[in-house]
Amino acid sequence: MLEIKDLVTEYGSVKALNGISLVAHEGKITTVIGANGAGKSTLLRTISALEHPRSGSITWKNKSIVGLSPEKIVRLGIAHVPEGHAVISQLSVEENIEMGALFRMRSNKTDVLLAIQEIYQLFPRLEERKKQLAGSLSGGERQMLAISRALVSRPSLLLLDEPSLGLAPLVVEQIIQTVNDLCRNTGLTVLLVEQNANTALGVADHGILLSLGTVAADLPAAQMKADVALRAAYLGY
Amino acid sequence: MSKASSYGRKNLVISILFTALVFFLSIKLDPYNQGQLSVALMFFIGILSIVLLTGASGQISLGQGALMAVGGFAAALGILNLGLSIWLAIALAVIAALLAGLLLGIAAARLSGPYLAGTTLVIALAIPSLATRFESVFGGDVGLTIAFGNPPAWLTTLMGEVGYEQWQLLATLPFATLALFLTLNILGSRTGRSWRALRDNEVAASLAGMKISETKIFVFVISSGFAGLAGVLYGLRGIVGPSVYPISLSLLLLTGAVLGGIRSILGALIGALLVVFLPDLIEWASASFSPSEQIANYLPAMISSLLLILTVVLNPGGIAHGLHHKKRRH
Amino acid sequence: MDIFLSAIFAGTSRGAIYALAALGLVLVWRGAGVVNFAQMGQAMFSTYIASTLIAQNYSYWIAFVVALISGGLLGALVDLLVMRPLNRKKSSSALDSPAMRSTIPVIASLGILGVLQAAAGMIWAAEERGFPTPVNSLGLVINGKIMPFTAFDLFVIGIVFVTLVATTYFFKGTGMGLAMRASALNPEVARLSGIRIGLVRTLSWVISGVASSLAGLLVTPSANLSPYTLDLILIIGFTAAVVGGLDSLLGSVIGGFALGLLVSFVNVYDAPEDIFLAILIVLITVLIIRPQGILGSKEVRRV
Repeated sequence: MLEIKDLVTEYGSVKALNGISLVAHEGKITTVIGANGAGKSTLLRTISALEHPRSGSITWKNKSIVGLSPEKIVRLGIAHVPEGHAVISQLSVEENIEMGALFRMRSNKTDVLLAIQEIYQLFPRLEERKKQLAGSLSGGERQMLAISRALVSRPSLLLLDEPSLGLAPLVVEQIIQTVNDLCRNTGLTVLLVEQNANTALGVADHGILLSLGTVAADLPAAQMKADVALRAAYLGY
Repeated sequence: MSKASSYGRKNLVISILFTALVFFLSIKLDPYNQGQLSVALMFFIGILSIVLLTGASGQISLGQGALMAVGGFAAALGILNLGLSIWLAIALAVIAALLAGLLLGIAAARLSGPYLAGTTLVIALAIPSLATRFESVFGGDVGLTIAFGNPPAWLTTLMGEVGYEQWQLLATLPFATLALFLTLNILGSRTGRSWRALRDNEVAASLAGMKISETKIFVFVISSGFAGLAGVLYGLRGIVGPSVYPISLSLLLLTGAVLGGIRSILGALIGALLVVFLPDLIEWASASFSPSEQIANYLPAMISSLLLILTVVLNPGGIAHGLHHKKRRH
Repeated sequence: MDIFLSAIFAGTSRGAIYALAALGLVLVWRGAGVVNFAQMGQAMFSTYIASTLIAQNYSYWIAFVVALISGGLLGALVDLLVMRPLNRKKSSSALDSPAMRSTIPVIASLGILGVLQAAAGMIWAAEERGFPTPVNSLGLVINGKIMPFTAFDLFVIGIVFVTLVATTYFFKGTGMGLAMRASALNPEVARLSGIRIGLVRTLSWVISGVASSLAGLLVTPSANLSPYTLDLILIIGFTAAVVGGLDSLLGSVIGGFALGLLVSFVNVYDAPEDIFLAILIVLITVLIIRPQGILGSKEVRRV
């Protein structure tokens, strides 16, 4: 279980997160929605230690992870797929995937090879293109690659930042479904940040609505999806 | 308007106080320290050129020594071939350096950070080597001989006997004062503010309508003029040649600028005094444990390099930053 | 014709050395975002160590290996003692602006150069000393005919070739090499993948230190050893790296060979005094016509 309490993160003097508390339960999809600038990405970046919180606590499996480095946090089973199909375009598809497992290559090479095989089963298109440079992939394929890069570390918590950004609806559907299947079949915990609230709430178990760095609502996903007043007030539809 | 004129008056007062202080010292000091102080003033002018270039506009140059050489050689050629007086030769030196700065600036405006540093470093090495290449004009490895000469009669009538070092110091002083006054005014003016805007955020400055390339070139030209002035005065101590303006001179000036505080005029003065008097200071401090000659020779370079590293790591604002810590940073 | 051929051979062997120096610069630029002007100072220092060992009758090869190791150690020290604290300090620094961020490490590296040169002067004095070659450096004689190259030329070209092959294998064929490329290309994604970029950075300083020490050992026999002699190699190495593209390893090697030939032809057909001028002209021409170099990518120059 990931538990966050009173988290505050600042950029200079601007409070991007202003006292956020939430819980992501094991084996469930928790989605964080909200308008642009609500602090969604900052939340994930603070969990994976790319940003340092000013105050507050983050505990994962009952241990505080505040103050650890991003490299260390990956080793605790938390994998972050940042916004914008974050792959390294000058490296090949194969290398991008391998990169995600470098840290455990020496200790458990057989499992890494197995994990790579599983990823190619999950995304056969990546196997077809494994020698190509990541920069030559389509947007959807790049997002798959970014997720693969995270999955190959065999995480128990996946932080997914706006996977739908800039993708065609059909591709979004496919990616979200894959994540949903992973969660249901392997017990992966997912914290999914989305601007596309409808899609996210469609698969999530729980919804967190952020507004200007604070939690505006914290409800079961179905309930949040049905709350017309809430949607109108914060999401504008 | 009245604010501007009171600002101008403040600059004038600072400059007059500066002149008075140095003049007082020129009477009190022994000849050796008069000579050292005059070199410190020349370095002060040279470091001001770095304060303008790097401190105010964010461009780095490792080749200020080369621009000093341009000033020195232009003056020497003017004196030896055209028979100019040293005052006219100094003017010629500044003009030559301004032109060299224009050429350099046109090339440099396209570059940033390490590219600019490396390119100016190559320039610093290449320009003195021209002196060796065109030996008949520039005097080869030995260089050309020029000097401040004897103090004018009116000065000796006024002050009694004026020694060679004292004259060197007194002749340098008005130029140091001029450089100080100009820098104070440039940095306090709208021009100075626009340079800082360029340094802090090039994109924003460009969106605000600033012509980036033109501004960068302009800064280079002004800064080069200062370097040329420092260079001719430095050469007038006796010789203009490649050994007078080696690459280590450029690095020494940069060290002085960083140690004193690369954004501060006061820092430039502190830095100049520091790099000039540091060897004397070290000799005095190490007298008690008398190091071997081999170690003593390299002690100043070692200590100033260590200070340079410590400054950038621990206190990148330099000494001046520590002094007016509470003041608003400019 | 013989003069032409010997200029080609001398240029190739010189170029191989410049390629190493340029490679050392590019490694640290890509890996740590610093153009390290102290690089040839590190090389000078480790060459002095080798020279001292040889003077005490150790074999050339022991001295050679010790110098390479000390070059690597010096690289690590520079990173751990200066560059890491500088990186940590940068965000809160009084001089925080993009222009200064790229300038300050350059100034720090000049400080390191000064320290190394002064230390070498204190330890080994300033007088120039020679440095041996492991093989004959006179014109090679085959079938009674004097060849336009020396055994040492062949040695240099061979050892640099082996180094380049090993480096290529390291980057393309090993996990650590992949980690280094990933960290250089996108530090954030690399960290999120669990790559310890601090360690990777230090490693790039180490490899760069070894490469430039190798350049120092190979160039010193023809240049004599003093605290300042290798400054020239730094300038040439920098120009070679810019010509090739500061972010391209292959480009830096090509640039090194190109500069080697240029220097050799200026030496033979013109005059040694013109070398700096020729280098300056090449540097400025490249920066104006193709600032990203032969193989560099366009956006990197503005970082």
